[in-house]
Amino acid sequence: MHGGDRSYDSADASHRALREIRRELERHPAIATVQGFPSGEFTQVVAQLATDRLDVDADDITLTVRWFAGETPDDRPQFSFHLSAGAGDFGWHHEPNPHVDGWGHFQKRSGSDAAYQYEPFEFSSTNPVRVVWEIMDLLSAELGSE
Amino acid sequence: MPDDQPGLDAWKRETSAFDRVRSVASTVSKPRTASYIADEAHVAENTAREHLERLVDMNVLLKSERGGAATYSPDPLHTRLQTLRDLVEEHDHDGLIQLKAELQERIEAWRDQYAVDSPDALRERAAETDEAPATREILATANDWELVRYRLDVVEDAIENYATYSRDYRASA
Repeated sequence: MHGGDRSYDSADASHRALREIRRELERHPAIATVQGFPSGEFTQVVAQLATDRLDVDADDITLTVRWFAGETPDDRPQFSFHLSAGAGDFGWHHEPNPHVDGWGHFQKRSGSDAAYQYEPFEFSSTNPVRVVWEIMDLLSAELGSE
Repeated sequence: MPDDQPGLDAWKRETSAFDRVRSVASTVSKPRTASYIADEAHVAENTAREHLERLVDMNVLLKSERGGAATYSPDPLHTRLQTLRDLVEEHDHDGLIQLKAELQERIEAWRDQYAVDSPDALRERAAETDEAPATREILATANDWELVRYRLDVVEDAIENYATYSRDYRASA
């Protein structure tokens, strides 16, 4: 529990966000499986994309979601939706990063030895549920451009 | 709020208005008005208010007054009970004790690695690092530590009250 608001618990708020993110991903037609990860800890949500429904040429695409609601209820949430697809990976992040101004950004690299390329990104909303559907829409387009 | 946001059409197609109000209201970090939740959930304010009142009756949300307006926030007890339900369905008593040990080991490993006793102390350590990647890694670990500590607290509750929480009333129906 942090700050002056004694009713706020950042871990409780973060866990609640992760549970709702898992639930929304379960609803999304482009998701094959989704679970809390690591299985006992549930500090992240990991989903396997249904590549046949996305019509992309890849066997295994994994989406990893991290979410921290903030130390106080007035703080901005820190989160990332990051995909591993083949050798490369990319994702949308909302957290401080010295490579971009502001918190929202998209980062991408072509392989584990390559450097990330960054560009600013503005989320329509920072509500966890809204972010899920926005990112699921954007990632389809990004995978299609691979 | 504009209606051309990415993913909005799919969200509205795949969910009901009640689903959207419930999921948005369940993830706000501080009490919010029906107007705010309606805007985020893309439903009419009257619809949001009707669903919010139902969610209060279901003990999913708490209702309070702020500045003369009704506000709604998640009931922490509801989330905790959902987590307890998942735990006793996924683990038997011995499995919960094993999980408790794993979570304790995780926290002890962070204590040893960073020589601090809490996530807050670890965040202070992050302020002393010289390089951005190290700072980000420490902050991410502090966030994970908070989540694991929360999880451990719920697991200990599940172990202590296992006989009560695991009782299956369907078997006696």
